[in-house]
Amino acid sequence: MTGAAALAIDAGQAAPAKAVLRVEGLKAYYRTRHFGVNREVRAVDGVTFEVRANEIYGLAGESSAGKSTLIKTIAAAMRPPLEVVGGSVGFSFLTGGTSIHQATSAQLLAIRWRNLSYIMQGSMSVLNPVRRVRRSFEDFAARHMGGRGAAFEAGVVGHLARVRLDASVLDAYPHELSGGMRQRVAIALATICRPDFVIADEPTTALDVVVQKDVLGMIRDIQREMGSSLLLVTHDLGVHAYMTDRLAIMYGGMLVEEARTADLFLAPQHPYTRHLIASLPRIGDDAPRVGLAGSPPNLAAPPPGCRFHPRCPLAGDRCRRETPAMTVHAPDHRVACFAVGGGGGTA
Amino acid sequence: MTAPLLELTHVSKTFGFGGLLSRRRVPAVADVGFALQAGAPEIFTIVGQSGSGKTTLARMILGMEAPTGGSIHLHGKDLAHIRGTGSRKLFMGVVQPIFQNPFEAFNPLRQLDHYLFLTARRFGDASDQQRARTSTDAALRQVGLSLPEVGGRYPHELSGGQLQRAAIARALLAKPKLIVADEPVSMVDASLRMSIVNLFKTLRDELGISIIYITHDLATAYYISDRIMIMKEGKVVESGDARTVLAAPQHPYSRQLKDAVLVPRFTPHAAVP
Repeated sequence: MTGAAALAIDAGQAAPAKAVLRVEGLKAYYRTRHFGVNREVRAVDGVTFEVRANEIYGLAGESSAGKSTLIKTIAAAMRPPLEVVGGSVGFSFLTGGTSIHQATSAQLLAIRWRNLSYIMQGSMSVLNPVRRVRRSFEDFAARHMGGRGAAFEAGVVGHLARVRLDASVLDAYPHELSGGMRQRVAIALATICRPDFVIADEPTTALDVVVQKDVLGMIRDIQREMGSSLLLVTHDLGVHAYMTDRLAIMYGGMLVEEARTADLFLAPQHPYTRHLIASLPRIGDDAPRVGLAGSPPNLAAPPPGCRFHPRCPLAGDRCRRETPAMTVHAPDHRVACFAVGGGGGTA
Repeated sequence: MTAPLLELTHVSKTFGFGGLLSRRRVPAVADVGFALQAGAPEIFTIVGQSGSGKTTLARMILGMEAPTGGSIHLHGKDLAHIRGTGSRKLFMGVVQPIFQNPFEAFNPLRQLDHYLFLTARRFGDASDQQRARTSTDAALRQVGLSLPEVGGRYPHELSGGQLQRAAIARALLAKPKLIVADEPVSMVDASLRMSIVNLFKTLRDELGISIIYITHDLATAYYISDRIMIMKEGKVVESGDARTVLAAPQHPYSRQLKDAVLVPRFTPHAAVP
């Protein structure tokens, strides 16, 4: 009896958690045609990953790696010249199981904020500067929560307490609040409808170091309490180490490595990941750190083959010709590099 | 006994705003004092969060802002006595700035080398275009670039890291004794950040330039600083040898800052490829 029960628990743990977001072969390019000159910037070029229920999935990469384009595409918030060229973005709550890019505007209206919400970097640009905070809550959430009224107000006040904000902020204008308070309002606003999926784009980059840790802690507490999935995008590996369950590294519009966060820090495989982790300065560690030669690829004219090869210490002939694919290196650990035995086939 | 390279004594800066009757005063920097010795180049780091007065202090050292109290002496001369173009030029030949965002520091409509040649002719020893080219190339090579690489290119054609290096090369053209760098790596990509930080070490060791490094990032501060000064609301809360201060901060605010640093705790030391 106990044996069977233990077996069932084992099986339950072994089964992978349900995916809430599934991105497959996603390609999003900026395309412009001016005076007969066609220009194409391949900002997201063949990205595949999934985010499971109740996890914090981190996405790291430097500027121009395509992080922002990727989240715009995932949220179906593209504007020309950004176009989705291929691949799909599926959400578990999207009925019909189709890609979000095929969803009708009525469907999008129904899921936005109710199922899918965002925490943006500059909270000032989320909160309307000429409306009181209460109005912002009404604008965003009342529609999904049965309209404004005493029950709605009580719900908002209760939710604000989770980010340790007093009900009085509802009567304030955004400029009357400090940066930390504003960002907490933005977090409360993004999570009030208990969405299934939250996208957080550099949520603490604009905040002071002392406030940052507190705000991150609140995001994590709320995520754990609601059991929603969080896609956390930031270039700061310290934030990823503190927050995420799994972490993907993006370079030149593609994912190069993905693993459980601890594995990625302990045993990075891709040369770029290895460099990023080895070059992190730490208090109490006097070992010299080195920078990486060269600069990030120009996505309008990416190098052939692996986009990292011009800067890679391990680059071989094959890296200059073929683009490595993400292959499984270990359980929950994928890497796109020929030199470390990934990338599909042998080097 | 030579005069110190830079000496700040009881420096304060108060900003006033509001009307004549309801004038309010905000102390941005209050009673700050430190000295950098001549002939002993070092990296002196000023740490603090936004609003701590670190940028105001930098602007005063650069002579862009006059202190409302105390004095700043450079080689024994009071900055308040700088008058006229001639002494201003002499001053700028000794102290050079590097700013946070290199894309804002360069004119986007001018080619990069134009600005470098201008600096070489104004502050360097170049008397004609040919010499300006030579000294610009030499300065660029000191930061790991070269004139053929950046010549004729516009700021937007370079990456943030390259452009920040070009900004450092521009500062080097004046052959300064002191560089004031305000958050020089916060806009630079992670893979290039350490090469800029290492460059500061090279400037100190090989060219004998003292650097005032202003940052909110304690980890890079620990990595490069000789001495550190932690500021809060315009006041110095703790200062001293960087290793000692950061290993065991005494002031509650310094401890709070150190605790706020997010350190990956999976490894006791860095993973080496």
